[in-house]
Amino acid sequence: MASNLAVAVLNGIVWGLIMALIALGLNLIFGLLHIINMAHGALYMLGAVFSWYVIELTGNYWLALCVAPLAVGLIGLALERGLLRTIEDKPLVTIICTFGIMLVLQQLALTYFGGTARRIALPIPGRFPLFDLQYPVMRIVIAAISAAVMVALWLFLNRTRYGLWMRAVVQDREMAVALGIPVHKVYMWTFVLGSVLAAFSGVLAAPIVSVDFMMGREILIMAFIIVIVGGMGNLWGSVITAVVISLIHGVGSIFVVPSTATVFSLGFMILVLLVRPQGLFGE
Amino acid sequence: MPGDAILVLEKVCRNFGGLMAVNFASLSVRKGELRALIGPNGAGKTTLLNLITGIHAATAGRILFKGEDITRLTPDRISHKGISRTLQITSLFSGLTVYENIWAAAQSRKRFFNPLARPEAWTDVREKTGRMLELTGLADKAGAVCSELSYGDQRILEMGIALSTDPELLLLDEPTAGLSTQESMALVKRMRAMLRGQTIVLVEHDMGVVMELSDRLTVLHYGEVLAEGTPAEIMANDEVRKVYLGK
Amino acid sequence: MLPDKWKAAAFPLAFVLVAAVLAAVPFFEDLFYQTFLTEVLVWALFAISFDLIFGYVGLLSFGQALFFGLGGYAVAIPTLKLGMGTGSGLLLSVAVPAAFAAFVGFFSVRLTGIHFVIITIIFALIGSTVGETWTSLTGGADGLVFMPPPLDLGIAQLDLMDIRTTYYLVLAIVAISYLFLRRMVRSPLGKVFVAIRENEERARLIGYDVRRYKLLAFVIAGGLSGLAGGLYTLSLKYASATFLHWSVSGHAVVYAIVGGAGTLVGPVLGAGLIMALEHYLVNLLQATDLVVGAVLVSTLLLAPMGIVGFLRGRRK
Repeated sequence: MASNLAVAVLNGIVWGLIMALIALGLNLIFGLLHIINMAHGALYMLGAVFSWYVIELTGNYWLALCVAPLAVGLIGLALERGLLRTIEDKPLVTIICTFGIMLVLQQLALTYFGGTARRIALPIPGRFPLFDLQYPVMRIVIAAISAAVMVALWLFLNRTRYGLWMRAVVQDREMAVALGIPVHKVYMWTFVLGSVLAAFSGVLAAPIVSVDFMMGREILIMAFIIVIVGGMGNLWGSVITAVVISLIHGVGSIFVVPSTATVFSLGFMILVLLVRPQGLFGE
Repeated sequence: MPGDAILVLEKVCRNFGGLMAVNFASLSVRKGELRALIGPNGAGKTTLLNLITGIHAATAGRILFKGEDITRLTPDRISHKGISRTLQITSLFSGLTVYENIWAAAQSRKRFFNPLARPEAWTDVREKTGRMLELTGLADKAGAVCSELSYGDQRILEMGIALSTDPELLLLDEPTAGLSTQESMALVKRMRAMLRGQTIVLVEHDMGVVMELSDRLTVLHYGEVLAEGTPAEIMANDEVRKVYLGK
Repeated sequence: MLPDKWKAAAFPLAFVLVAAVLAAVPFFEDLFYQTFLTEVLVWALFAISFDLIFGYVGLLSFGQALFFGLGGYAVAIPTLKLGMGTGSGLLLSVAVPAAFAAFVGFFSVRLTGIHFVIITIIFALIGSTVGETWTSLTGGADGLVFMPPPLDLGIAQLDLMDIRTTYYLVLAIVAISYLFLRRMVRSPLGKVFVAIRENEERARLIGYDVRRYKLLAFVIAGGLSGLAGGLYTLSLKYASATFLHWSVSGHAVVYAIVGGAGTLVGPVLGAGLIMALEHYLVNLLQATDLVVGAVLVSTLLLAPMGIVGFLRGRRK
């Protein structure tokens, strides 16, 4: 029992940190562009799918971790420049548009990658003892990488000129324009950054879950839940919520059926939306 | 001649966070009068109108309309009590035609909307819409989508919408804001033609308009009622001069 | 300019013409087209019910699949497990989803904009999660296969195992629903809906209880989405928890947007065109969602008012 609980807690933290990265990307895009990016889950899926191809070709997971997010970042760049730019100021239209993009990306993955789920071998195969069970070292590495990326993101937002610009645009868009901040450029790079984060977490998740063209669909909803409960536009609210929800979900699943846990977390989200639409950590 | 009090505010308060936007404001508007509400920016004039129409809830105090407590009612219920208003930033059904805008307001006094009724069969609403179009002087533009109207016409249209709900009390929030002097004068003239003895509360910055139209003035300052009286009395009030001249 | 008399006659004429052509199809074509058109009509009904809340009231709901799926089960479960007739099943396929829509709407209409979109997705997700888990009742993702008993109309018994009969039944119900909605959006009630879409605050200030009207529209749309689901299940002889998934709502969204939201005729056109496109391209590309997504995105960029909106704009 103790070992089961320990595994559930560790899994909750690992998965929570991956989810936090996905939610951060979604939340950054929402906070800046006011776009609810329905294609975010598909970008996460593309990250995983691209990494599978890179690993097939080179056998190197770490190369995939670098290449796949960049490739998805390019796709994000094309989407923002080519499609979203003209409709950015209409939130409902962008929801529908990104839904269309989601359909296209999922279908492309189905056509070229295929409908069957594929596994990626653990790049670090070792395990360490945890009570009477063995826990994969790789998962701890994944969690550490996620945490490192979050620290890097924090540094980027707080210590660089671009990060400062991004925060200024979130605070007050008109003022940012008046100050001469190139708002459209900031939008573009934010969307790219959000896409890269989604893809990066896709690569990180790939060795844990299996790679599948539909893998982004449920993740998208989980990411929504996290962003809303943590507060839209509130990045650290997302991180805390992601870890807490994953822990509750992970530990709770020992005691109840997973679908019961899902229904409860969905019900909780409705409650948050109705009572505190600004999120639990919003002002 | 002005009669009994139609609108009474008793020590009404509203704070946003720590800011007291309206601070123990008491005032009484008599039936048939035109009351101007003046005061520097941020004095709480628009907030006061928002409290009367239920857009914001008062934190304390009571608002009585025709002797009935309306403090806790929602905007739609308050509209049905007989209070209507225009907003500082023009608020229209912008994608609809002038005709459809007036119609939407003209039919609003109906209690039941049969989903299978034909609008043509509602002759009373049709006649009222036609009448209001004449009154606003926009009859020849009835088919135009209202976002294509000139700004001045939009202000008049909003007044027409507000009047189409048959209000006894009409609240006007800076009707001449953003208009040239010439347009303001045209609007005031049009307004006079449109009114039929309704009680008016007017928030206005243009003192010329205020002096010309109003029976009495209430001066707000930092959410408090500073002074009240006829235009002549207010002009002679030292405190008001201080506030307005900033000395 | 056409004289007003002609204008007034244009719709009834066009409607009768289209209905007549559709009614004539079974005399000329093989069964395939009847099956295909049945499906188009069902999705068209789903799309116009969505158009009522999106195109006329301005509420973007991605949760209509919940009512669609419930409508399916409201036909399948009573006939399969309780031995009830198809007629009562069809009535239930309106009533049960409408009741659920009243519950969901009661909470949802308190929210606006993207919050509304998200809460409708969540409600649908709860529905599909419960549906997939509660297999003893719903059959889960595998669904329920059933044989609808003949529909007793008093004067005649309709054998719903017959494709042609089913086609006529669906055609009649969809046509009546279309006329009902068309009448409603033009009625004074429809004018309240449109006023709310254009400016909620103004609508409230002239005396409309905005939440109440939104809820009313949501319930009507929910009932009609349910009817679409009921007819779908009747024609397939199959109901499944996968119909409840929020992404199924995407069908209605796509058809309405591509055809032209807020026009009623647009979503019908959108359903027909896209499904035809899917049908003809499926062998060529093996990638129908690709086409759907691409058509959707390009419509949003090139003709944001949809096909009908685009044509009307050009005529002006």
